[in-house]
Amino acid sequence: MSKAQNDLVALDARPIPTPERARRSLLITAAGALIGLIVAGYALFTAKGTSTLTVPAEDVALVNQQPIARADYFAQLKATYQVDYSQATPEQRRKVLDDMIREELFVQRGKELDVAETDPDVRTAMVNSVEQMSASDVATRQPDEPSLLVYYTEHQDRYSTEGIITALDLVFPDSGHAEHAAAALGSGAPVAAVIANFQGRNSGTLNGEEFYFAARLHLGDALFDLARKLPNGGVSKPVEQPDGVHLLYVLANKPPKLRSFDEARTAVLNDFRNDEIKRSTAQYQTFLTRRAGIQIAGDLQQ
Amino acid sequence: MTRLKRPLGLALAGAAILACGVHGLRTMQMERRLLRAAPDTIPTNSVLFGFAAGRGAGTFRSSCASCHGLSGKGDTAQGVPDLTDSDWLYGTGTVGDIEKVVYYGIRSHNPRGWHLAVMPVFAQPVPSPTEKIPPLTPHGLQAVTEYLLSRGGQPTDRALAMEGAAIYASSGGCYDCHTADAKGDSAIGAPNLTDSIWLYGDGSRQAIYDSIAYGRQGVCPAWTGRLSAEQMLEVSLYVYSLSHPAAGRQQS
Repeated sequence: MSKAQNDLVALDARPIPTPERARRSLLITAAGALIGLIVAGYALFTAKGTSTLTVPAEDVALVNQQPIARADYFAQLKATYQVDYSQATPEQRRKVLDDMIREELFVQRGKELDVAETDPDVRTAMVNSVEQMSASDVATRQPDEPSLLVYYTEHQDRYSTEGIITALDLVFPDSGHAEHAAAALGSGAPVAAVIANFQGRNSGTLNGEEFYFAARLHLGDALFDLARKLPNGGVSKPVEQPDGVHLLYVLANKPPKLRSFDEARTAVLNDFRNDEIKRSTAQYQTFLTRRAGIQIAGDLQQ
Repeated sequence: MTRLKRPLGLALAGAAILACGVHGLRTMQMERRLLRAAPDTIPTNSVLFGFAAGRGAGTFRSSCASCHGLSGKGDTAQGVPDLTDSDWLYGTGTVGDIEKVVYYGIRSHNPRGWHLAVMPVFAQPVPSPTEKIPPLTPHGLQAVTEYLLSRGGQPTDRALAMEGAAIYASSGGCYDCHTADAKGDSAIGAPNLTDSIWLYGDGSRQAIYDSIAYGRQGVCPAWTGRLSAEQMLEVSLYVYSLSHPAAGRQQS
């Protein structure tokens, strides 16, 4: 059989379309098209970011397509009337909703009027808000333990206990008296006797046990730097000051001690996050600056 | 038999598609019912509560368990609260209160989050960046520690505890957040200092001293914008279920 004859036989073998079959095909096609239209229509009017005809279930209202979240509405109701939604009266529900719609309307109008151009409070609030949004992204990320440990190792100076010192600041009329007093204190003489014997006095600047930062504040940098290096029972060399010659007598000195990672972990986590936030905010600023067209007046370009 | 195969296959496929469609519609309907319900009433509806809390467990595992642990029991070494007990640091433990934390977080840098109170660092020159509070002396720190131990019913140095009580109620400014009776204020997240539940550490002398000396400021992220409204409500209901095992069993 030739090829042409073969083709003819194949054509004859095809099912002959009957009117019944044609109608069925048409019906299936129509049903498919209808289902497609329904799905597309539903998606069009319910998808996020599109203009919708119905209020999504998670919102209580749409104001120019801007949603008012149901969770915010419930929270506002509770804050205003101290009641849950289920206990609130219809008037209370309506009042809160009206207030929230009013606020949204005015916020939208504020955007139209570009109030940030004229109101410094709005400008400040906007700057803060954008910074907070950037920081909020960082706050969501939970750093892993190795990263925290590396951070702790690199910033150990931040995680020490504050040193504690108990000392007396004694003042004598001249160097001679002060040197004799130092020797007497060094050999274990009682403080009261030393003061009496060498015409001294307690300046009273130190008040019992003090943190290093407080002692520095009370003594001044020069005297404190001398005091913090002295051991328990140590006496400083005489230091001349306008009001006399000072001797520092240290009763107890507990220098700062590095806290272990476990002890300092919460502080490490906070510092880590704060540094990340600073870095992220700086990067954000760089990004904004780079994409902005900033022109600076000639006289300020140096 | 061969003639039956095709219609049977088509019928099965149709039934599967129908089942999927029905399931999808039912899920969608449940989600809508859930979102439209007042959060605090959901635990009384066994159908809605079961649906939501079950789904919330998945969100909890992926978003919350890294800090709170899979069981939700937290970790006092890291100041992560136990979500399975009835002691609530923020709010009163209603679904609405939990949902607020999930949405906006705690010290999360979200302007709507809880961020009013921060435990000052009393062993540094400026304990608080926002409040004018003087630092405490080492003796003062010990005294307040003794006072708090005494409030928790632990053995203390009575004279020192009395000094601590005076500092607590005056220069320390502790009363301002923790209230005069030291029972705390969940409206600002100030913990009760008189019970046996401790957010940080085990309530020992050293742990209390460290909290006062070095301060505390835990963080919970804001999930708004990262999770959908359904997911946030579902995870809130799941968290609620951790401390209310009977929730959802009573039908409204």
